[in-house]
Amino acid sequence: MSEIRAGSFTIEELENVQITIGSIVGAIEKKAEDEGEMGPTPKPGIVDIREWDHKLLNRYEPVYTPMCDQCCYCTFGTCDLTGNKEGACGINMAAHQAREFLLRVITGAAAHAGHGRHLLHHLIKTHGADHPIDVGPTNIKAPVIQTVTGIKPETLGDLEPVLDYVEEQLTQLLATIHAGQEGAAIDFESKALHGGMIDHVGMEVSDIAQISCLGMPKADPEAPLAEIGMGTIDSKKPVLLCIGHNVAGVTYIMDYMDEHDLTDKIELAGLCCTAIDMTRYNMDAGGTPTAKIVGSLAKELKYIRSGIPDVIVVDEQCVRADVLQEAQALSIPVICTNEKIMYGLPNRSNDNVDDIINDLLSGREAGALVLDFDKIGELAPRLVMEIAPIRKAKGITALPTDEKFKELTNKCVHCLACEMACPMNLPISDAMTAAADGDLTPFEILHDKCIACGRCEQECPKDIDIVNVIEKASQKVIREEKGMMRAGRGQVSDPEIREEGVNLVLGTTPGIVAMVGCSNYPDGTKDLYDIAKEMLKRSYIVVVSGCTAMDLGMYKNEEGKTLYEEFSGSFLKGNLINVGSCVSNSHITATTIKVAAIFAQRNVTGNFEEIADYVTNRVGAVGIAWGAYSQKAASIGTGCTRLGIPVILGPHGSKYRRALIGKPYDSHKWSVFDARNGEEMAIPPAPDFLISTVDNAEEIMPILAKSCMRPTDNNMGRMIKLTHYIELSEKYLGVMPDDWHKFIRTETDLPLARRKDLLKILETEHGWEIDWKKKKILSGPTMKFDVSAQPTNFKRLCKEA
Amino acid sequence: MADEFPFEISPMFEGERVRKDGMYVELAGPKSKGFELVKAVGMDEIEDGKFTLIGPDLSEMEEGSRHPIAMIYRVAGELVEPDLEAIVERRNHDFQNYIQGVMHLNQRYDIWIRVSKDAVKKGLNSFEQVAKATMMLFKNELPFIEKIETTYITDLAEAEKELEAAMESYKIRDERTRNLHDEDVDVFYGCTLCQSFAPTNVCVVTPDRISLCGAINWFDGRAAAKVDPEGPQFAIEKGEVIDAVGGEYSGVNDLAKSLSNGEYDRIKIHSFFEFPHTSCGCFEVVGFYIPEVDGIGWVDRDFTATAPNGLPFSTMAGQTGGGKQIVGFLGIGINYFRSPKFIEADGGWERVVWMPKNLKDKVLVDIPEDIVDKIATEEDVTDLESLKAFLIGKDHPILERWVEEEEEEEEEAEEAIEDIAAAAPGMMQMPAQAMMAGAVAPMAMAGGSGGGVKVILKNAKVSIDRIIIKKSE
Repeated sequence: MSEIRAGSFTIEELENVQITIGSIVGAIEKKAEDEGEMGPTPKPGIVDIREWDHKLLNRYEPVYTPMCDQCCYCTFGTCDLTGNKEGACGINMAAHQAREFLLRVITGAAAHAGHGRHLLHHLIKTHGADHPIDVGPTNIKAPVIQTVTGIKPETLGDLEPVLDYVEEQLTQLLATIHAGQEGAAIDFESKALHGGMIDHVGMEVSDIAQISCLGMPKADPEAPLAEIGMGTIDSKKPVLLCIGHNVAGVTYIMDYMDEHDLTDKIELAGLCCTAIDMTRYNMDAGGTPTAKIVGSLAKELKYIRSGIPDVIVVDEQCVRADVLQEAQALSIPVICTNEKIMYGLPNRSNDNVDDIINDLLSGREAGALVLDFDKIGELAPRLVMEIAPIRKAKGITALPTDEKFKELTNKCVHCLACEMACPMNLPISDAMTAAADGDLTPFEILHDKCIACGRCEQECPKDIDIVNVIEKASQKVIREEKGMMRAGRGQVSDPEIREEGVNLVLGTTPGIVAMVGCSNYPDGTKDLYDIAKEMLKRSYIVVVSGCTAMDLGMYKNEEGKTLYEEFSGSFLKGNLINVGSCVSNSHITATTIKVAAIFAQRNVTGNFEEIADYVTNRVGAVGIAWGAYSQKAASIGTGCTRLGIPVILGPHGSKYRRALIGKPYDSHKWSVFDARNGEEMAIPPAPDFLISTVDNAEEIMPILAKSCMRPTDNNMGRMIKLTHYIELSEKYLGVMPDDWHKFIRTETDLPLARRKDLLKILETEHGWEIDWKKKKILSGPTMKFDVSAQPTNFKRLCKEA
Repeated sequence: MADEFPFEISPMFEGERVRKDGMYVELAGPKSKGFELVKAVGMDEIEDGKFTLIGPDLSEMEEGSRHPIAMIYRVAGELVEPDLEAIVERRNHDFQNYIQGVMHLNQRYDIWIRVSKDAVKKGLNSFEQVAKATMMLFKNELPFIEKIETTYITDLAEAEKELEAAMESYKIRDERTRNLHDEDVDVFYGCTLCQSFAPTNVCVVTPDRISLCGAINWFDGRAAAKVDPEGPQFAIEKGEVIDAVGGEYSGVNDLAKSLSNGEYDRIKIHSFFEFPHTSCGCFEVVGFYIPEVDGIGWVDRDFTATAPNGLPFSTMAGQTGGGKQIVGFLGIGINYFRSPKFIEADGGWERVVWMPKNLKDKVLVDIPEDIVDKIATEEDVTDLESLKAFLIGKDHPILERWVEEEEEEEEEAEEAIEDIAAAAPGMMQMPAQAMMAGAVAPMAMAGGSGGGVKVILKNAKVSIDRIIIKKSE
């Protein structure tokens, strides 16, 4: 046997030979080329979409907010880059900041792609490379993958070359971070945009693979509701807590529990996106998720400290680095299930499950690294059943007793060191005073705003465990933390988009607001609810994912209903849809691509630039990452911006170091070509940024409405969008926006209820000529209204070209 | 908002619901009587802005009570005509819902209105305020209304008296709509609203063909064209009749050419195969040619299984749309099934062989009686073979076409197929692929021996990516 080597050889005889042809790649590709289906940029490298990036960056210029004005990447440094100084390698401040941003983006993209690779390996092993991709009713199964790479995946195996491409691009991009590579800020920016686009490819691979194999809802508007909140967990039962983003291993736990009749006996709880995906698992045929969601990352330390979890299982991403120490202090064994997080624990993957249980039960080991999913499936439920009675009997918790609580609050010397350390500068000192006087309300308010990072505790000269104090004080509100979240539904189906088309055209749906990202909110979670509700009431489609999807489910209206219960879950005007976990964000960009494919029959295959051009000019979508904290949030947002979807970040977003801001007053930047004849045409200055930060929820409201305006709006669409822009500005900021007139092309663009008043203002304040008898605008607008105009940023897409 | 009113007026209140415990009064609705009516009148018959109330005003009504209401708007203007009444009337629903604290449901004699306690608390105490706001919105939105006068009736006897006249108006209007056909008018209307997403699509709206999205009928087009003749909805002079059955007109062709930016230059409004109407993408139903039986199947958005040709809605819908003229697939609105000219050029209903059960039920009354049982659904057939058997069993009129075809010269038939194939690459290619997949699968499964397919390898070079050698167990 060992004598067989690579090369040609002759087979003497064939007997019972079966030749299986997995895919006939050459033939299909050739056919696609013959029909002209393949666009100009399949699997683009760094340079291939650069022209588009430069166009975007010309209109939306990078603005840098250095967190640090030095560079310490190499031993030539540390180099001071202030005052137009160059570093030892010649790099300047702008380029270095852009490089820092690029690094954030590709780190985030790598997290998703690494997640996808792990998942795909696993699913191919369990389901086979020829397992079909099934994501629900759609003509384009993987819109982002097809647009970027030109590949139309039909099976799991088809996703492998896609990830190969992603990994190659990430390597090339990472290489440019090295000293002595790129020198121009603008090309670092272009590379960052490339990384963002690549991220959406990696995310799509991850999510469509798990949707296809793990029985997750397939574009299902009626995906079931799952319970969410610290108050929903039944702490009398053994509590098994899973933290992270990669649900692969957890599904084995769920299967084991199911097979051994443990589902009712164990409280299975999750934190972060693993929790979301636990409520999606095997829900494609309906049912009620048995797993419960504790919440987002901000709840992680709080929930561990409560002592309620009896066993913790971690996988990857957004898991605190000190989980093992925190858990150990409370005798909670930790099982690491993914090589990305191993906490220095011994690798027990090849050991007997009984032995591992014994070691953890006895406390000989604080945790175990187990990479074998079959073993994890058995280990975690058995362990939690055995350890829970012991832990509960002891009543282990980090939270202080009532007496201790009193003692701690009295111990505070009000030095304010904690408040200085707090990323939110929360008023801890005053809350301590109030609590000492018996008033817990200030701490209850802090409980929602606190992200439980624990930085305050490190600074306290009196060694007060401040997080524990906050949590102890908030027990009453925590018990009431009971909400609902609609389980992630996956993609938006083609039939839904077709049905919604008429609303998008007539403006009855004024836009699509995607609320994504993490839990680093400037002022607690309520803002999310307020923003979503305001936009839903105005018939915007609100799309959510990840941490935002979770936190949104924590609030209820007067009738005790969450937004998920109050608003339906279709891709329809005034509906609230949860696409799913972090990696499901790719379905948001995918939806805009589908719009181009469905309504304009644009060829999406390997045709990123043309699709991005379409989306930029026509699809009124805007993203909010109100609590963006992670590198992944940076890459997700950047992927949106390369498609021309503007993204608004909360105030902490400025720590990403850069924004992309347009200059509405610079009229020559707001001009495109009319594809009918190649002539230049003026467009409205909206959106006037691609990435920007906003200070508070009031400020964001009118910006959302304005960011949904697009050059191709017909008069009905523009009228409604403008109505909401003006109303939201008046409602939340108390003023008419100062630029509303810039969006008027014809009198029919004017908000219906105040047409007369606004015509008067246009005449008196802006000098426009009005025919009062016919109520028509005679002169004034800088843009013509012509619904048939075909704005494009590319001369090559024009008829004359 | 406009300061003269004690309430806000905004499209954001459209979805507002006034529930029982938040309701101050209920007007009309299932437990009372009422209607809304718009009448076109002469310029000197009315006084602009005048409001008359017959019966008690809002301030005289008890909290929690229920009353009848009739809302009559008389409109006048140089361009106002009876044909526009229905269009103006329908806007009453939208406009009253724009008013914060007012909920308006349904239309005509089915209206159901509630005013909220909150609105009354904020100062809404007279119907005059509602009427004035509605009149203002009418005039802003539809500038061809030069004068408007309103009467509301909350007195039961008076309202009932007027209801009879209103019913007569509705009846006349409905008859006019029903009896108005493409040949009765000189102008059609074009709609390019959806070019904001579908750059080359032009919808031709005729009395017998509602816009594909279902939102614009011929009367809507007429009203919009009067508001702004240069706007996205405009009149199309029919011009010469080129093909009366297929619905081809020189005026439509001229316009199609210019507005589609030269993408196409002929449209047959009621044709499936020849120069069919384009679509943007939001069609509710897609029709698909089934070459094996020479018939047309229709599948709607809500049907998630596959049609007899093995394809689901989303795949077939993906073949058309985007303002492109694609032969072999046609997107339509459900209402088009109700048109007397429904794919007249291709044989109308006699050409229809398959529909999902739900869709068929929806349009059941519009299907000619003699064919209704001959159209198969997913309950009758699952694939092309069973479809064929079903059609033969039911003696579907499509059978006559099969005979005709056989009689035709073979060459001609081939040519025709080639024509269709050339025009619809997507269509011909997909069934072929499906067939291929069907043929390959059994071969692989049967280990190369069964499935009726024989594979012979001659002078073959088999290159293998990887050989995995395992101990046999």
